Amino acid sequence: GYRRTVPRGTLRKIIKKHKPHLRLAANTDLLVHLSFLLFLHRLAEEARTNAFENKSKIIKPEHTIAAAKVILKKSRG
Amino acid sequence: MDGRVGLRASRRAAPTPRVAVRSSPRQRARVREQEPVVSAMSGSGLGKENKAGSSTPLRHRPNAFSELDNATPRVMLRKIIQNQPQVSPLALQTVQLEETEDARPEPPSQRTSSTVELQLPDLVPEDASVTTFRMTRKRKKLSISEFERAADKRLPQNQAHSTLDSTLVRSLRMSVGSVMAPDTVEKRGLLRRPQNHKAIDIAAFEGGVEQNMLQIKAQDYLVDLQTSSMTGTTTIRTDAEVVLNNTELFVEPQLGEQNLLAVEPQLSDSKTSAQRSNTSYPAHEKARLEGLVSRVSTDERRTLRFSEKDLITDHEHVDGITQKTPAKEGEDEQDHSQQNDPMEQFSESEEMAGTTEHHADAEYSEHSEKKLSRKAVSQLTAAQDAGVEMEMTPSEGGVAEGTEHQDSPKAELQMAGSPGGHSPASYSLKKSGAKPLKEAVEQTGEIERGTITGVLDAAEEEATDDESDIEDHESEEISMKTPMFVHAAAYRPHPVLSPPHPVKSASPELPPQPVRAKPVPKSSGAAQRKTREPEIASSLIKQIFSHYVKTPVTRDAYKIVEKCSERYFKQISSDLEAYSQHAGRKTVEMADVELLMRRQGLVTDKMPLHVLVERHLPLEYRKLLIPIAVSGNKVIPCK
Repeated sequence: GYRRTVPRGTLRKIIKKHKPHLRLAANTDLLVHLSFLLFLHRLAEEARTNAFENKSKIIKPEHTIAAAKVILKKSRG
Repeated sequence: MDGRVGLRASRRAAPTPRVAVRSSPRQRARVREQEPVVSAMSGSGLGKENKAGSSTPLRHRPNAFSELDNATPRVMLRKIIQNQPQVSPLALQTVQLEETEDARPEPPSQRTSSTVELQLPDLVPEDASVTTFRMTRKRKKLSISEFERAADKRLPQNQAHSTLDSTLVRSLRMSVGSVMAPDTVEKRGLLRRPQNHKAIDIAAFEGGVEQNMLQIKAQDYLVDLQTSSMTGTTTIRTDAEVVLNNTELFVEPQLGEQNLLAVEPQLSDSKTSAQRSNTSYPAHEKARLEGLVSRVSTDERRTLRFSEKDLITDHEHVDGITQKTPAKEGEDEQDHSQQNDPMEQFSESEEMAGTTEHHADAEYSEHSEKKLSRKAVSQLTAAQDAGVEMEMTPSEGGVAEGTEHQDSPKAELQMAGSPGGHSPASYSLKKSGAKPLKEAVEQTGEIERGTITGVLDAAEEEATDDESDIEDHESEEISMKTPMFVHAAAYRPHPVLSPPHPVKSASPELPPQPVRAKPVPKSSGAAQRKTREPEIASSLIKQIFSHYVKTPVTRDAYKIVEKCSERYFKQISSDLEAYSQHAGRKTVEMADVELLMRRQGLVTDKMPLHVLVERHLPLEYRKLLIPIAVSGNKVIPCK
């Protein structure tokens, strides 16, 4: 088990920073964190695939960048 | 029953009495006879056969039974290998649905001349037999003898019809091929999934990766050290390196990028300036190189400073530093005549815009080191001294230029070039060896001390240094730009430089420190907290990402992930705002976030939200999100 506490306060602050007028209901920040986890999950898979395709055993920045482009686009609402 | 027998027969490699029985009208009788016995026999026979380890056809038939009886992986595996088509699992299922007793009488009644029909009921009776067998395990042991007798009986009978049976078996197999296939799959699933070579590759790959992880980490670490300590010009080329070198706790990557941009031109400039200085001071080549190295470190520090937004802190320091800066600059120039060359050049490039900042820069450089921890405080102070607000990036550049300007007027005063060179050399060496932050702290400490009490000392040093540095005028002018920290470091490690002020290194440390320490930390701390933007902790991101990716990741890649996270939060915050506005609300509700995840493709008809919650969130949060019904007509969390 890795870190078990969700940074709820930080999440709220971040969203507040981007959209100050927006409010968050009770446990919505947990769902936001869940979506963030899944985003990282997708990003990790994509980057891993890129690295694997390059026959590299390490995730390099270029792999991550290429993955980010795809996944950020996918994660748009 | 017939089917059962037939199936069993078909399974057997060699024609068996049972197979023959099927085709003959005698089958019925035989089957009937066999039925009660078969179940027991099958189990017992299987057990017997299995134990014997023989791959006789008999075993095929009682596969289901044997599985039941000897459900050890070994036995099952053996059976699977030997008996490719496995009807038993399927048969079992059908049997389970039916009553065992019912199944048994059924097949006999359903017996037909067609083998196919027999085959189907065979499944049923087999299942029945299987179930019955299950229910009556004891029978297995009891009926072994019966089974054997029946088998012996049937063998001669079936042998005659072996050929016919084989065809029947084949047809049976074909007809029940579909049935068998799932069984096979099921059975395989129970025991072992088909080898996924890709998985193996990945597994081996990852295993090797893990083995290399340490090596890679060590290499990376070494590389990082090398890059930081090496001829700095090339070390801080990349964002990553710059950021890597930045030992500050909170470094904004954006700033890092800026720094990188600033650094690169600086480096190029420094090189040119270094060349200039070189020509004039061949003796200082070494110092120059060292200066480069120190410059690199200063660059690193600068990046650190960049990341910090300590304008406020700078203000405080500016006042205290103003006095010192002029003296300091002189000192710095002297001390870092050689180092300054590259540094100045470097800083020059940085500071295209802020002329006024130059002075500030000089101060800043002095303080920057001190303030590595404070981050950019010195920059600010330096800027303030100059009377111009310093931006993070320009401040550093300005510092270099500021020193330059200051140096020029003080060129005459040139500090001891040689001692300065030595100090920078030692300093640079020291810097390369030590962590930039640590050094910067030391330097800043030095500078601080120097600022208050060092004004005089600096002047004195300058005087002494001037003589030696006369040669270094030119270089000094350039080197003036070198960060103050270099100067500070210069005198600190070399008390010899200021023999008239041996106490300087010692005493100044204490008195000025408390005086300076107080205001500096306060402002920096408060300022940092205020100016710090909320970000997800990079350690958490690293943890999560590495957990998901399961392979080693370079540090630069982590930076990119952090940037992506920021952009992601920006995206979703606007998305959520749009959704809630569309619903006529000002608050984001759970439905909005769920809609977001649905549109992202995370929540689908096949993948409900609760499943994702269960999978990815820690337990305590699952309870909050997923309503659980408990007794007493209660639902937690209450709705």
